[in-house]
Amino acid sequence: MNSPFINTLTVWQALFLREALDRFFGSRAAWGWLLAEPSMHIGFIGGIWGAMRRNSMGGINVSMWIILGMLSFFLFRRTAVQTLHALDCNRAFFAFRQVRPFDVALVRGGVEAFSMFFIFLFILGAAAMLGLDVLPEDLLTALLALVGLWLFGLGYGLITSVGMRLVPDSGHIFQILMLPLYLISGVIMPLTMVPAAYRGWLLWNPLVHGLELVRLGFFRNYHTLDVSMAYLYAWVLGSLFLGMALYRGLETRLVTQ
Amino acid sequence: MIVVEDVHKRYTTRHGVGDWVLRGINLIIPTGRSVGLVGSNGAGKSTLLRIIGGADYPTRGRVERCCRVSWPMANGGLEGTLTGRQNAKFVCRIHGFQNELPERIARIEAFAELGAAFDKPVQTYSSGMRSRLQFALSLAFDFDVYISDEVTAAGDAAFRKKAELAFKNLANTASIIMVAHSDSTLKAFCESGILLRNGKATWYDKLDDALVAYKEGLQ
Repeated sequence: MNSPFINTLTVWQALFLREALDRFFGSRAAWGWLLAEPSMHIGFIGGIWGAMRRNSMGGINVSMWIILGMLSFFLFRRTAVQTLHALDCNRAFFAFRQVRPFDVALVRGGVEAFSMFFIFLFILGAAAMLGLDVLPEDLLTALLALVGLWLFGLGYGLITSVGMRLVPDSGHIFQILMLPLYLISGVIMPLTMVPAAYRGWLLWNPLVHGLELVRLGFFRNYHTLDVSMAYLYAWVLGSLFLGMALYRGLETRLVTQ
Repeated sequence: MIVVEDVHKRYTTRHGVGDWVLRGINLIIPTGRSVGLVGSNGAGKSTLLRIIGGADYPTRGRVERCCRVSWPMANGGLEGTLTGRQNAKFVCRIHGFQNELPERIARIEAFAELGAAFDKPVQTYSSGMRSRLQFALSLAFDFDVYISDEVTAAGDAAFRKKAELAFKNLANTASIIMVAHSDSTLKAFCESGILLRNGKATWYDKLDDALVAYKEGLQ
């Protein structure tokens, strides 16, 4: 008999291998598409701003502004969507009593963090070769904001996956929600372009805080709205708490086949 | 020994709270004694097996496993999009055998006799092939009690014989708790029986008595 701690680690390791294999090699060049999707978004939005002759955004290079915002948003979105589908993709494994729903959701979120780490490295590396300034001036702020975005994605995924299990149709809504979030989080258009009277509303969105903090972490002189790490982490804590509570409270229903 | 204490179970679905499937099951299942579960469709046999195996939880009551109990071998436990080999690797890993993966996989592959299908996705398997894989998987680990839900029954005659033989070799060290709808399969594997009726369980030292009581109840 192993200790529960070792057992859990063993299960996480096995789930990680299973999920990573599926994510990176599940279909032909699956890993290539993972990289191509954010790259194409960056190229497209960059092209639009370029056509408008805009070369800086809040005092930083417009390309870096788009790259940082896009990758940070993808980190959140992919973690959220992958965690959302964690339960239905692994239901068969709940036959093993050492594999519980939370393990599956956590590991699936972890695979996304792993994949986005390499995508960040690759795209920032490419940007550096194009002569952009990619080294963060305040690494700690950038990392904290990225970890916060990942954790918020995980919390969002935990809550929505339970929602989808209880009301299957709600899955559509959670996925559709991602489009307005993309538009109002300051990924493709700076929030300073929004009339001052309405900015207060947009600042309720924790993703705005996360994205702007990542940019601030890379460029200390970036001009932006008044964003706060504490606000982002308040959402992280709130969503993780609610998500874990739902997993704990409804575990009997989540494992039913 | 497995202690089942006052286990109640009902399922909550989108259509609300269902009826009680199990209404107060009390059992002590000794190790080293193979048991067959008998009862009509919907009597709660699979539900009880899943709860004993720890895959599902009782609504009320508790189950204590004082020995190594396998997972409930049924149609769950295999992920359809993965190949037989990938599933086997996953199961070896979660049981802590990542260090002896090649040997275990070789044993599973040899016992399941799936040939080239071992590297095909499980969703392309027939139910007999799934059963072979399930049975081979669980025999790759040393459990004190194996839990089988129709798995041993689904294979063809040759495989059933092989499973029976493999199991007889384990007889000194392990036992089985199983559900099967054919009397002959039950008789081949089990000595004792549990009859499930109206959400209650009755233990019979002899399997034949359980089968007789079951058939009398039907008339």
